[in-house]
Amino acid sequence: MAVTENDVLEEIRDQLEAIKVPGAREATPDNTWSDLDVDSLDLVELVKALEDRFEITISDDDLKPIESVGNAIELTLRLVEAEEGAPA
Amino acid sequence: MPVPEGGVALVTGGSRGIGKAIAERLAADGLTVVTLSRTSGDVQADVGDAESVAAAFAEVRAQHGPVLVLVNNAGESQDGLAIRMRTEQWESVIETNLNGAFHCIRQGLDDMLSARWGRIVNISSVVGERANPGQANYGAAKAGMLSLTRTIAREMGRKGITSNAVTPGVIETDMTVDVADKLKAGVPAGRIGQPEEVAHAVSFLCSDGAAYVNGATLAVDGGLGA
Repeated sequence: MAVTENDVLEEIRDQLEAIKVPGAREATPDNTWSDLDVDSLDLVELVKALEDRFEITISDDDLKPIESVGNAIELTLRLVEAEEGAPA
Repeated sequence: MPVPEGGVALVTGGSRGIGKAIAERLAADGLTVVTLSRTSGDVQADVGDAESVAAAFAEVRAQHGPVLVLVNNAGESQDGLAIRMRTEQWESVIETNLNGAFHCIRQGLDDMLSARWGRIVNISSVVGERANPGQANYGAAKAGMLSLTRTIAREMGRKGITSNAVTPGVIETDMTVDVADKLKAGVPAGRIGQPEEVAHAVSFLCSDGAAYVNGATLAVDGGLGA
């Protein structure tokens, strides 16, 4: 089943909630990590959760330009698509 | 908060000497203890080899549960004056004592971060702070462990994970059996220490009461490093 933008957003909200970010449930794609007070270690946890949930691998290079919830959603969808398009 | 349900304590080099005493003490404290060593122990791994450590942690997780308490005790010494020390002697001791601690921490943190609870205790040495001629490799590795300990404390402090070090002095083990009498003279306590005395300190650092002790170095040396 195709992964939707909303699936990724919900996973990100769940993870933000787990790391006790205030207002995690109301996080939107426009929110930056700085808005949400998410630091580099929080981001490592978030990436790990996205990798496990969507069976993707996020490299350090992929991660560099990711500054917001929306960026993370786009990256995840792009990697999921690449993964599905790859020969089995 | 005690060790979360299902969490295990992994003691490297836990089949003899100080490691064995630590494993026994933590088991007596009520923890599920798994020992790791090169050839004996509950699981086997060469701690200096990252892949071997990853495989051992996978085995521990599958058979016992996540590693929420990690005691990095595995170590070796290959003494000799620096001017005569072979590259292999240097590398082997750094690999086992320092790289080994890092590889195990790297694995253990995955489990601890998920649980938002963890205890890391690195068994360094008095020579990590007070140099001993003939132990350039051992001393450098043990000093490196102290910095590693403090870095992890700062990185993970917010996540319910503590990282502390213990620096034993002269302790009665196979490693010191030939030199114990000679070494005893310099110890303010006037005697060498027992493995159980080191284990007692480790037990404290793994306990509920030590939740606010982070990045610390606890000397168990009869005053030798004072």
